[in-house]
Amino acid sequence: MHRGLHRFSLLVTCATFCLIIAGALVTSHDAGLATSDWPLSNGQFFPKMVGNLFWEHGHRLVATTVGLLTIGLAIYLYRREERRWLRRLGLVALGAVIAQGLLGGLTVKLMLPLVVSAAHATLAQLFFCTVVSLSVFTSKGWSEQRATYEEQGSLPLRYVCVAAVVTIFLQLILGATLRHSAPWDHYLPTDLVLAHVGGALAVTIILGSAAITVLRRHGSEGYLRRPATIALGLLGLQLLLGVAAYLTRLASPKDPQPLNPMIGITVAHVACGALVFATAIVLTLRSFKLLRARRAAIELVTAT
Amino acid sequence: MFTKSTRSWLALSILLSLFALGSACNKNPETGPTPDNKARAVYTPTGNEGTVTGKIAYAGTPPAPNKIDTSQDPICGNRNPNLVAEDNVVKDGKLANVFVYIKDGTTADGKKFSDLGWEVSPEPATLDQNGCHYSPHVFGIQATQQLKITNSDPTQHNIHFTPQNNPEWNQSQANGAPAIVHDFKQTEVLVPVKCNQHNWMRAYIGVLRHRLFAVSKADGSFEIKGVPPGTYTVAAWHEGGAKGSEQTKQVTIAAKGSATADFSFGGATASAQEPSLKMMPALEVPMLGRP
Repeated sequence: MHRGLHRFSLLVTCATFCLIIAGALVTSHDAGLATSDWPLSNGQFFPKMVGNLFWEHGHRLVATTVGLLTIGLAIYLYRREERRWLRRLGLVALGAVIAQGLLGGLTVKLMLPLVVSAAHATLAQLFFCTVVSLSVFTSKGWSEQRATYEEQGSLPLRYVCVAAVVTIFLQLILGATLRHSAPWDHYLPTDLVLAHVGGALAVTIILGSAAITVLRRHGSEGYLRRPATIALGLLGLQLLLGVAAYLTRLASPKDPQPLNPMIGITVAHVACGALVFATAIVLTLRSFKLLRARRAAIELVTAT
Repeated sequence: MFTKSTRSWLALSILLSLFALGSACNKNPETGPTPDNKARAVYTPTGNEGTVTGKIAYAGTPPAPNKIDTSQDPICGNRNPNLVAEDNVVKDGKLANVFVYIKDGTTADGKKFSDLGWEVSPEPATLDQNGCHYSPHVFGIQATQQLKITNSDPTQHNIHFTPQNNPEWNQSQANGAPAIVHDFKQTEVLVPVKCNQHNWMRAYIGVLRHRLFAVSKADGSFEIKGVPPGTYTVAAWHEGGAKGSEQTKQVTIAAKGSATADFSFGGATASAQEPSLKMMPALEVPMLGRP
């Protein structure tokens, strides 16, 4: 374990979180096409940042920073990290951030087609998932020898955590599609809203089950308890933000311009969604580190 | 590898997620009129053309104009400190910015209006960005007629057309940049125009094959000249909601005659702006940030 490498991974993760917020601000301000060219804005690297160009070009600058940091992280991993698979994960992150930049360019050049915009928002979450994982794998806690626990009950907790991550990811895709399906001055499509509500129900059931099971079975193990507690707190906050975002978004087509309450709440909803995803990833990875299959189950598999 | 209950949980979560995704993909594509490229004989004026006139009223008390927050670009605030939304410009109960046009009908000699061809005006229509709003706010143009777009502001704009029948188009225009010329190949009522840099800026362009259109003035009046004698459907379109709202009236015009078509918007016609989630009336609560 290299402390500097872990700190650098955390820096990239925090920068990526800021980038997700910057991207959400672009969508909420309807600023994605504030300039018709890419990668420059109005033919300049540093244009006058007035109007919505502040958000769109600001997003590009933050994205450039994250891209450079990811290159640095990949090099850092190759120089300091011994685990080959982790070095490769750094390359995956680098590939994802390059693809993400190209998708961002495509959204501008193709004038925000829903598929490309939703793919851009989805890949952002996948990239975030990768850098969060890198932060977990490079941490001191991951390298330490820890006591492991046998899975209890008939339902292995590790797989419930995996189900939670998958469900959250699908919900994030739905959320991205919903946000990009209509600008602020149009009503959101009813079928997508209902699908997103259904997704929220699924996430609540599965992530809630995972976190509560962790607290009930392994409440004394801080390495698992902390992400489970944070996940529950964030889940509750995210549900409240979702309702608030819906209400403010329902009103916005009658407004003369996107108002700050709608912008602030929808952006907070996107950011909190990313945090829920990150926490679920941390919880899942840690559960795979600490939990092992039941002895009886192992014996049964060996016998067959 | 997986126990039975694990498989059940995984299957449940995947099914729920797939159901949600499936619902999302079940979206009907927007349908619009089929582009019309039919060849037609060009109508030649005979001197018997008449006029359609009328007034657009606003029923009920109009909402107070929404003030625009221009703080993101101080130049806009300096150029136009009292900028307000132009969706309901009402004075003495009369409504401005309503696009009125001949939609269909039959000429006195039995020809279908839709079968008539029309010469395209050689003069370009103009759209100016001045004081961080579009001037004019609503106007008409013929298909393939040139549209000259100018920027009179000391700040940059982008002009973004979001049509249904014509290709989407977005072009930045810096302050002091030369005029941009554009045209629309297909008819469309109406093409929304927006500036993504200043997200309050809106305009609407009625694209027709003919020139028989007008926009209501500040006193709500309009006049369509050069209408061949016959019986016609006159349509009046007013912005609001995703697609605006349109009303129609039948008029008959004698040779060198005139006809009147008055319209009224507001009040009951505001139903076109209802939200799509009608099944959730309980969520219609006072909104944050509403004036």
